[in-house]
Amino acid sequence: MKITINNISVEVLAGETLIETARRIGYDIPSLCYAKGAGHKSSCMVCAVKNCTTGQVIPSCTTIPTEGMVIDTEGEEVNQVRTLSLELLLSDHRADCEAPCSMVCSKGLDVEKVLDLYDNGLLREARALLAKTFHLPETACDECKAPCEKACRRGTIDKAVSIRTILKEIATQPEESLAKDIDNSKPDKKLYLSRLGRFRNKEKEYLKKTVDTPSRCLHCACAGKKGCKLRHYATGQGIKRPRYDATSALPVMERTHIREDIWFEQAKCIRCGLCVYNTKNGFTFKDRGFGMQIMLPEENKPNIPEQLAQLCPTGAIYIKQTKEA
Amino acid sequence: MACQCEHNPGENRAGLLEKVDAIIEQTGTGREMIIPLLQALQNEFNYLPADAIERIYERTEIDRAQLISVSTFYSQFRHIPLGQHLIKVCTGTACHVKGAGNVYDAFVRELEIEEGSITTNDKQFSIEKIACLGCCTLAPVVQIDKKIYGHVLPGRVNEVIEDFLASQQEKEKEDAAQEKRKIAGEIRLGMGSCCMASGSTDIYEELKTASMQLGIEVNIKSVGCVGVCNKVPLIDVVTADGAITRYPNVKATEIKEILHQHFKPAGYLKRLKNNLVNHIDMFHTDLTWDNVIWKPENERTGVIDSFLASQKHISTEGYGFLTPLNLEEYINHGGFEGLKKALGTQTPRQVIDTVLQSGIRGRGGGGFPTGKKWEIVAASGKKEKYTICNGDEGDPGAFMDRMMLESYPFRVIEGMIIAAYAVGADKGIFYVRAEYPLAVVRIRSAIELCSQQNLLGNKIAGSDFSFDIEVFEGAGAFVCGEETALIASIEGERGFPKQRPPYPAVEGLNGKPTLVNNVETLSQIPYIVKHSAHYYNQVGTDNSKGTKVFALAGKIRHGGLIEVPMGITLNQIIEEIGGGVEGGEKLKAVQIGGPSGGCIPADLCDVQVDFDAFNQMGAMMGSGGLVVLSESDCMVDVARYFLSFTCDQSCGKCTFCRVGIRRMLDILDKICSGKASLEDIDKLEELAIHVKKASMCGLGKTAPNPVLTTLKYFRHEYEEHVQGICKTGTCKDMIKYTVTDECVGCTKCAKACPVEAIPYTPYKVHTIETETCVLCGLCVDECSFNAIRKKPLKEAKV
Repeated sequence: MKITINNISVEVLAGETLIETARRIGYDIPSLCYAKGAGHKSSCMVCAVKNCTTGQVIPSCTTIPTEGMVIDTEGEEVNQVRTLSLELLLSDHRADCEAPCSMVCSKGLDVEKVLDLYDNGLLREARALLAKTFHLPETACDECKAPCEKACRRGTIDKAVSIRTILKEIATQPEESLAKDIDNSKPDKKLYLSRLGRFRNKEKEYLKKTVDTPSRCLHCACAGKKGCKLRHYATGQGIKRPRYDATSALPVMERTHIREDIWFEQAKCIRCGLCVYNTKNGFTFKDRGFGMQIMLPEENKPNIPEQLAQLCPTGAIYIKQTKEA
Repeated sequence: MACQCEHNPGENRAGLLEKVDAIIEQTGTGREMIIPLLQALQNEFNYLPADAIERIYERTEIDRAQLISVSTFYSQFRHIPLGQHLIKVCTGTACHVKGAGNVYDAFVRELEIEEGSITTNDKQFSIEKIACLGCCTLAPVVQIDKKIYGHVLPGRVNEVIEDFLASQQEKEKEDAAQEKRKIAGEIRLGMGSCCMASGSTDIYEELKTASMQLGIEVNIKSVGCVGVCNKVPLIDVVTADGAITRYPNVKATEIKEILHQHFKPAGYLKRLKNNLVNHIDMFHTDLTWDNVIWKPENERTGVIDSFLASQKHISTEGYGFLTPLNLEEYINHGGFEGLKKALGTQTPRQVIDTVLQSGIRGRGGGGFPTGKKWEIVAASGKKEKYTICNGDEGDPGAFMDRMMLESYPFRVIEGMIIAAYAVGADKGIFYVRAEYPLAVVRIRSAIELCSQQNLLGNKIAGSDFSFDIEVFEGAGAFVCGEETALIASIEGERGFPKQRPPYPAVEGLNGKPTLVNNVETLSQIPYIVKHSAHYYNQVGTDNSKGTKVFALAGKIRHGGLIEVPMGITLNQIIEEIGGGVEGGEKLKAVQIGGPSGGCIPADLCDVQVDFDAFNQMGAMMGSGGLVVLSESDCMVDVARYFLSFTCDQSCGKCTFCRVGIRRMLDILDKICSGKASLEDIDKLEELAIHVKKASMCGLGKTAPNPVLTTLKYFRHEYEEHVQGICKTGTCKDMIKYTVTDECVGCTKCAKACPVEAIPYTPYKVHTIETETCVLCGLCVDECSFNAIRKKPLKEAKV
């Protein structure tokens, strides 16, 4: 069977969907809710292409090519649909990609990450990360006016995290080279950056009550940001700021431990359903329409395989190592 | 988090499990049985108890993920127990424009239901909004348990509750054994849902008792919907000589009088006695019926003739005299002739050709040529095929499918058998909304009757063709009107539509080729086959053939269910059939096609009823709701109303429908509250265009239509709202109530006000405290001097 993609005639292989054919011949079609080989149903519409014969905009991930189809994957119309779909998804996504402390550090230290290691009792790792940025960790912040503490969102609730004091404490740890290399990649300021919303009073109360880590840090940054396709494609589409206000009350920093190193954060979920279609009696949909959620019943937790984190297009399901037992 | 169902301590656990086991035993244990299973459980317990659900995990193939997924998708299922009685406030289109929101608020206030709850503290009543009860001509409508109240006024909800409680106390009277009688005549009484809502069951009871008391021997025959819904309850009296006299808007108190008029009671003495008793009776009961609950219309005759004159009955053939479940009568009036003709003299291919030539297009909304669809299904060589009748009519403001299933079940079944024969299907499924209990009952009985007569089952009517029909009750999801979502729900999944192709005609239910046709489409088939394609396609326009059934409602003098030939203009429908706009107001627009359709402005209402003509205007035939809007209706509010409906009904699968519609609604809310800027209108339009373009199924693709058409034809109203002005006074954030000098200080309004915003000041001009006022309008209804007016908060710039 032959079809035409962007004026190029292509032979379709058996069982291929449109996105697979187009990607095979080199067109880079973004997609969130699709993963090759995994069970999926179209949802995100980021992989939209145009069927030039009917004029319809269709999701390429589930469309089965038919003889003589003429497809446009790069036109302005397609581009607009992709951008808008990403903008809509971002408007219903608690996109706290980066923590403000890390963003404002003049030395480029990923402050939140250091605090995260600290809170998990991984003090040696924390020191190693500190040492990557500062030759003399002990005196690292001495001259600094600590914009990190001013930016700290904990400060809007009660009192900012005493970042400098904690870093000092970390610096006193014995110096030791670690077998596992510590990633100290700095936040890329060119990436899409969410506008961090102010906490509502209810959320403040909730956070005050529930966040009791040693450092008192809220860990604003998205723990699963590394493989986040939503952010990646939003950057690719040139989206700088969300255009639609998120009116929804997405739960703030509600992270569920699934088992072992695998975690789930509802507010980051884009409801694509990949985790539902690829677990047996695991994740499930709840309710419908705009209020639809992905949820994991307590009893189903053992049914969640670790690989699911790779499948999740955002940071909703993520792997995070905690202190070894 | 596990299931959120609350354990009901009142229920004995062992007894509960026994019941659950019996239900599982009866229904089956497969995954695809989940919806019937949950429906059966809910029928038994009135909600889904946690223990019952745990039992399902133990005893069936259904797991936790599937159960949560399905039970939270369909709005029918409840996880917490409700009060003893359930009040359903209809918020369909017709009810909405007539103030259903205020009625709902009034019930909440009257019953003192706390915020965030839907149940009274004493657990006597629960309240919910429901998409449409399908009694649009009686708007606003409220249903309490099985009793339906029409024309409910916010100020009189206490009377409704009292009436309901009183009726609860009355023990149901035993039906007296019918004696052998000499028949003097026949009385036909409409028993569709509208008729029943307007009290025809009471009329029926009264007819029975009255005829017995008077000793008049008459047949009381309940017929299907008579269509003249605005004139119900309506009875036809047929005397022995065959003369028919029609009585619209009858009251139970008048029954005896009517009977006297036409029939002679048994003996002279009895007659005299009756006269006397009746006379006394009149003093006691006259006007007691004439309360607000069933507001009778005063004009009595003359209207009906013109209401019916422009109509043409194909789907509703036999209208007014067929008893819904009398198979013999249906056959005597030419029923099943089409089927016999097809089975006896035509090959399946010939039947398809006939349907193709007839030019009929699907009545479900899209207008796809029916014959084409049949051809595709027939072309598949697969052995097993399905025919599904789509009766999941979920449009707020449309009720023709309900009426046809209730009143003409045999016709729809006949159409379905013919379709199955043509495409080679061996199994049929009626998918009927669970909100239409009467339709479900009638269809089930009709199938049973047909099976007994060998019109269904093995080797139908002596031919080689075998076919069986099952009924599947929908569980409350508008999106299931979309054929792929409908199929998903029969398979026991949430109603997520699928990307087409493959079309159901090629790969549908259980992967088999499946023909999905709308109720109305199927009801036209017997006529086509019986009379020939040519005879049928003489009716209509070039590209739209036959007739179309509409539910005419809104601000119209004579609403009801109408069947008109394609090609009639909207103006003709409104003026000739509907008798013009209610209350002598000016026509502003016609909303056609429900949430998928659009608003056609008054100056374009000379458009013909035609699939393509409507599409060109940005509207849509849709399933056939036709809501008339007058000068006092706010178009922005109408758009917002429909969008909030689709937002609520979106399945949530794809981004544009799930989030896009929500964001559109956010903007509309902003516009209606007067806080928007002109930029927001453009943003709304951009979003609407893209939601239309990039949503995956019909629901999302058509959801922006009400917004797009109002933007196209009534953009100035949007702009006025941005300036903070709603001329019709519908948008509550932009108006206040004020008292004019006409006020005499009678204190009626002060007594009526539910929030005490009007100080009690006898003989002084009253005042309204704007801050306290909830704008419910009760004072306006109450004032006899027309001294309370809506006023815009801001004055229009000149």
